[in-house]
Amino acid sequence: MIKFSENDLAKVQEIVAHYPDGKQKSALLPVLHMAQDTFGGWLSTETMDYVASLLQIEPIEVYEVATFYSMYHLKPVGKYVFEVCQTGPCMLRGCDDIIQYITQTLGIRAGETTADGLFTLKTVECLGACGYAPMMQLGKYYREHLTKEKVDAIIAECRKTAAELN
Amino acid sequence: MGMKLLLEKAHVEGIRHFEAYRREGGYRSVEKALKEMSPETIVEEVKKSGLRGRGGAGFPAGMKWSFIAKPEGVPRHLVCNADESEPGTFKDRYLMEFLPHLLLEGLIVSSYALGSHATYIYIRGEYAWIATILETAIAEAKANGMLGNNILGSGFDCEIYVHRGAGAYICGEETALIESLEGKRGNPRIKPPFPAIQGVWMRPTVVNNVETLAAVVPIIIMGGEEYAKIGVGKSTGTKLISACGNINTPGVYEIDMTISVEEFIYSDEYCGGIANGKRLKACIPGGSSVPILPANLLLKTAKGETRYMNYESLSDGGFVSGSMMGSGGFIVLDEDQCIVKNTYTLARFYRHESCGQCSPCREGTGWMEKILWRLENGEGKESDIDLLWDIQRRIEGNTICPLGDAAAWPVAAAIRHFRDEFEWHVREPQEAKRRNYGLAHYADPIHVPVAG
Repeated sequence: MIKFSENDLAKVQEIVAHYPDGKQKSALLPVLHMAQDTFGGWLSTETMDYVASLLQIEPIEVYEVATFYSMYHLKPVGKYVFEVCQTGPCMLRGCDDIIQYITQTLGIRAGETTADGLFTLKTVECLGACGYAPMMQLGKYYREHLTKEKVDAIIAECRKTAAELN
Repeated sequence: MGMKLLLEKAHVEGIRHFEAYRREGGYRSVEKALKEMSPETIVEEVKKSGLRGRGGAGFPAGMKWSFIAKPEGVPRHLVCNADESEPGTFKDRYLMEFLPHLLLEGLIVSSYALGSHATYIYIRGEYAWIATILETAIAEAKANGMLGNNILGSGFDCEIYVHRGAGAYICGEETALIESLEGKRGNPRIKPPFPAIQGVWMRPTVVNNVETLAAVVPIIIMGGEEYAKIGVGKSTGTKLISACGNINTPGVYEIDMTISVEEFIYSDEYCGGIANGKRLKACIPGGSSVPILPANLLLKTAKGETRYMNYESLSDGGFVSGSMMGSGGFIVLDEDQCIVKNTYTLARFYRHESCGQCSPCREGTGWMEKILWRLENGEGKESDIDLLWDIQRRIEGNTICPLGDAAAWPVAAAIRHFRDEFEWHVREPQEAKRRNYGLAHYADPIHVPVAG
């Protein structure tokens, strides 16, 4: 059984209070973000059912939302997810080369996770960083003006952080 | 230097926080509005200003406000659309990241004008760190009496909440945004009823873009009539342009709408010219949905007149030889860029982002992507070009929301202006893999001598 900590449950109540009485379903997107961050970086059926029970809505109402939005992962992902933008403006600035370089370096294609469970590569559509292309999202932040050297540095940085955490 | 009404203080140290923002003259519009003006006079000032919605559609903001229904006993809501997702557009991000209090200031005044006591900022989920910046700013504003109960002793109560989306371009469409705010899939609603009558939780709602709401601040400070004197014709005030692609200095620029497209691209004050000494081939001047223009039609209209960076001039010639101001996402392509490939990536984007409700959009965007992929990869047929044209025609105007149009227009314009490049991909598939088509006759006639 998964469960939010008391702190997180208080946070959920705080989010629910942003919306009118009886409209607690409005808190679904923010609470799903919290759940994904808390329970392993993806949304299992168990996690989604738990969110449904917290918000007193039907599980199907959670599933239909979780499957619609691209930021929710419906299967396990690596510890570090490289979400590289591939839309027009990034393409004009060479994102294809960056995607290919990451593919070569990590030995995974878009949508795949490295065997050690550390990295997932995803291609995504426009993230609103067109002037700072090519770019990727890594966790909460954007990494912009990417070059092969920068990609190497990011990978090294992730490996270092992961080793320190272990 | 152009006039700056929004970004003037963007680089003042500490401006992201209340203290510095206030010291630099921030929140004066809240004082003026709440102490000296009625909600009705604020709506009138915004009408007089001629301010047009900065999200892309360009609808007069004051008029939109005046449509809001006021049934007895039913709360009303203002929702700020910060779901910035149109490829090429990153201006709202800049504004929120550097001047969060400017947005809050505009939101407080606008909430007062519309009678919204609970106002929401719907921000795209990927802008996670900006949501934190906004939440910090909200807490600071509240601690300093600019939010909460009885703001500045006026009797007006207002809370602002940040609501993060989760990755869906369609949620920038106002009724999809409302559905998403209610915790549902972002499927656009059929209009009418319009949000001004039945919006979020079936309550009267106004949805405005970040930049639109920030622009309310200078309008209140200087007065609607003074604001309307800036710019030209129905393009009043200043506009944020996010410039990207193959230019020397990509970034967000505030322009008054009297400068020419040529000045915007080549002046060091703005884009700084084409990167790497290349030549200009084409440009999508208002976000990926608006028609792409070859250099010759971009810098001058079909009538040979100078084209300017404003709503009227950019759309001069309609879709035959013009484009649109749109969201101000200015995407520049140099001579090495392939129009077919660029169009393909955009078609892929719209296929990915179609919500799937309407068949013409759901199926049509998929087919456009597939056909463009095979044209780009040397597997296209001559008839594919007409087929693409036919598909986009059948999407446009046949969907609940404008995403269908937004997907159709880039394909239509690419074929309209660059048909020979598409045909070349069919005729010379091997050659097309090896090299780019180049400038051909699209060259900008001002800066590039074209042989023959």
